Amino acid sequence: MADQGGSQHGIARTSRVRTEAQRQQDLERIQKYRDLESQLRKLVSASDYARDTFDLTTKLLKLNPEYYTVWNVRRRTLISGLFSRRSDGSSCWRGCSSSSRCDTTTTCSAASLSSSLTRTPPSQASPTTGRSGTTADEGVAPDEEAQKKDLEIIKSELYFTIPLLLESPKCYWIWSYRLWILDQSILLLPVEIAKKIWQEELGLASKMLTKDRRNFHAWGYRRHVVSQLESKELGGESLVESEFAYTDRMIRVDLSNFSAWHSRSTLIPRLLDERGAGERERRNFLDAELNQIREALNVGPEDQSLWYYHQFLVDNLVSPVGRPTIVPSLTVEERVTYLATEITEIKDLLEDYEDVKLIYEALLEYTLGLCQLEKRKPEEDERQDLIAWVKKLRELDPMRMGRWIDLEKGYGLTELLPGGSG
Amino acid sequence: MESLADTLWDVVICGTGLQQSLLALALSRSDKKVLHIDPNDFYGDAEAAFSLQEVESWVEKVQTGKEGLFRAASVEKLEGDTGLSFPRAYSLALAPQLIHARSTLLSQLVSSRAYRQVEFLAVGSFSIFKPSSDPSQSPTLVRIPSTREDVFSTTAISAKAKRGLMKFLKFVLDYESTPQAEAWQPHTDAPLTEFLLKEFKMDKELQTYIVTLTLSLDGGINTRDGLAVIHRHLSSMGLYGPGFAALYPKWGGLSEIAQVSCRAGAVGGAVYMLGTGVKAMNDQEDPIVLELTSGDTIKTRKVVRANESATDESGINRLVAVVSSPLKSLFQSTVEGAPTPAVAVVAFPAGSLSTAAGEASQSPVYLSVHSSDTGECPANQSVLYFTTISKPASQDLLQEALDSFLAAVAGDTVPQCLYQLQYKQLRSSAQSQASGSIFDFAPPRPALAFDDSTLQSVHDAWKMVLGDDAIEEEYLTFADREGAMDDDEVYD
Repeated sequence: MADQGGSQHGIARTSRVRTEAQRQQDLERIQKYRDLESQLRKLVSASDYARDTFDLTTKLLKLNPEYYTVWNVRRRTLISGLFSRRSDGSSCWRGCSSSSRCDTTTTCSAASLSSSLTRTPPSQASPTTGRSGTTADEGVAPDEEAQKKDLEIIKSELYFTIPLLLESPKCYWIWSYRLWILDQSILLLPVEIAKKIWQEELGLASKMLTKDRRNFHAWGYRRHVVSQLESKELGGESLVESEFAYTDRMIRVDLSNFSAWHSRSTLIPRLLDERGAGERERRNFLDAELNQIREALNVGPEDQSLWYYHQFLVDNLVSPVGRPTIVPSLTVEERVTYLATEITEIKDLLEDYEDVKLIYEALLEYTLGLCQLEKRKPEEDERQDLIAWVKKLRELDPMRMGRWIDLEKGYGLTELLPGGSG
Repeated sequence: MESLADTLWDVVICGTGLQQSLLALALSRSDKKVLHIDPNDFYGDAEAAFSLQEVESWVEKVQTGKEGLFRAASVEKLEGDTGLSFPRAYSLALAPQLIHARSTLLSQLVSSRAYRQVEFLAVGSFSIFKPSSDPSQSPTLVRIPSTREDVFSTTAISAKAKRGLMKFLKFVLDYESTPQAEAWQPHTDAPLTEFLLKEFKMDKELQTYIVTLTLSLDGGINTRDGLAVIHRHLSSMGLYGPGFAALYPKWGGLSEIAQVSCRAGAVGGAVYMLGTGVKAMNDQEDPIVLELTSGDTIKTRKVVRANESATDESGINRLVAVVSSPLKSLFQSTVEGAPTPAVAVVAFPAGSLSTAAGEASQSPVYLSVHSSDTGECPANQSVLYFTTISKPASQDLLQEALDSFLAAVAGDTVPQCLYQLQYKQLRSSAQSQASGSIFDFAPPRPALAFDDSTLQSVHDAWKMVLGDDAIEEEYLTFADREGAMDDDEVYD
């Protein structure tokens, strides 16, 4: 029976309670299913990959999209006849040789799929190949005719997977098949058409992310689709600006979105490079990013994903070695100024958010970081601040008592007893 | 087939207003014999939706009527060839109420399966009308932030004020828990604005935002009620999709729910008679004997009616205006993946409008803007529903609101008002009540958003009608009728 695809974030699974009548109905359905299955096995053992086999896979997959063997059978029926022969005659499916059964499992996540599916060098299916023997009577060149048919099949296969994906959005086999079909579009169709199909796929990825914006697989899938659209085979245009804008929009749906912030951080180096950003532009960019994340922290200081992004920006400032930086040319003084400003701004949050531990953690870390940058020990006023913050953290986060004690010891932050000197 | 007179009815329901219609829905799977009548020749009663022709008949009736809830109705049309479409192209709602996503009404429509017949549209942004300080500048509409992401994005509030607002939003989302309850309960009956100032140090502007979210008609809502309403709004946000907290039924708001409920009643075997009222009733007999205006005399065990009389002259004034512009700027969805809204709410807080005499308005005016997606007007036009609490100068105030709004949204040209309906709807403090075998629904209270407390009387009426046959678990909880949704298609 089709799996409900696991729980989505925050939505619980429900289990069905069955009456006797329902149980009988279920038994009938199970029988029908097994009948379909044995029919398919018969055809496959006879190496019959014609239309009937294809139709059987349709019925079975609607009932059980997790049955990966049946997906492979479907692929074989397409390669064996329904797709037009490719002009170089090679098999489209690299995962198996044309004679063996393809029922080995492939572990996939959307991200690893991009590496496990080795793509054959794309034949650009140019209208001039294979035209030998075309008579003047044929209005359409045979290749164009074949391409039209292939496009129909590709479209209908993509359409077929959609209701299955809606029911089981995390079923690997459906995604894997969909990606295989999309790859076929690169192999079999002209660039412009394949590109459109992949662009629509980006739209689908957006829809999935709207449905569940924390679907980690969907983000990985999106990155895969974007990298395909950016690849040479599909025209090689960079999508970094629109992807950056997408993270902007996703953040406005929900600030608390690790994946969106993470995506944003990975896009920045390329973004600035492609913009040909000079010194001025880079500084402005950094300032804008810092302002924005501070605005976000102002309304959501308890949100870890926001602090991660702030940390990312601060790391950019403080430890530029070994990673692409936003403003590589900053002097140490400038870095110090930036960091000191951040510390001051974050201190403001304490005015209204006294019990949010992440604020204290950040202040602690950044103040110690500032001292490191300037290669010095904490000044007395800083020391007092640090002592107060660690004290607060012991209160707010007693589970990590060991860590706070270590910190106190390591930086000499234990409070002196009243009446003591200093 | 038995004639009306031969049947011993289990209940006769008078009037097809929302409450009575929901009752018909609730009874639609019982084996009770239900006769549902309405003296009007349309469904919906005080919650009906009208074509322009029906508006005009209704206005005539109101003008000549001595009782009932409506007064001072009139219609004004722009002269000449204005682009006003044929009458049936419009469906002007008497009860254009928005329904919060968390509303019990929605969950009842779902559990009774009636939701399948209704098309719900998203209600988009709530904005506040800001008059311009400079006469050469046009007034503006400012969005009210009601989620953390809204507060993040807005540029109109300082960082410190944002923190205050966030504290409040978090407080409200959890306002029934002990620590929060202890903070507001001492202020229960005090005005919400006072509580906001004392406990959250909110300035006038922020207070206005919050009070507007309550859609309170007199602006003086108390702390307990205010927090409850805001809680409903905030916890409804994003429930059915990103970017909206409330829904609106296509084709005329509550009227559509009434119609769908009556349809379900009919499918369940109830007999419907429009244009039929009760001429006389003898409730000393058992069963009760009713003489209908159709000439039929019928016998019934129970009677459910609507109390049509208002107890006081207070109420609301409404102005319904059809304008010649799609007002696209109001219906942008600002959040990724959000559906295009079909309704936008604009508030004119007290003081933001001036009367002809130059005085500042004393009460808020609320505007619900409906795009043609609601089915209430043709494409390229919009319907504006203005509401304000009835006061002597209310009519003028609403005209002022209309003119100011059109000035605020004018692009290259100011949109024209092609058609106007005005009326007054009275309020009643009467409660629904059962007396013997007769149940009287209280008159509906005009409000901008649907109030779930209305549903309690429907439940009470249902209990009265079914008596010992009432099974609580089955109240508005039905399975799909056969054939409605066939999951077995795949097996064929």
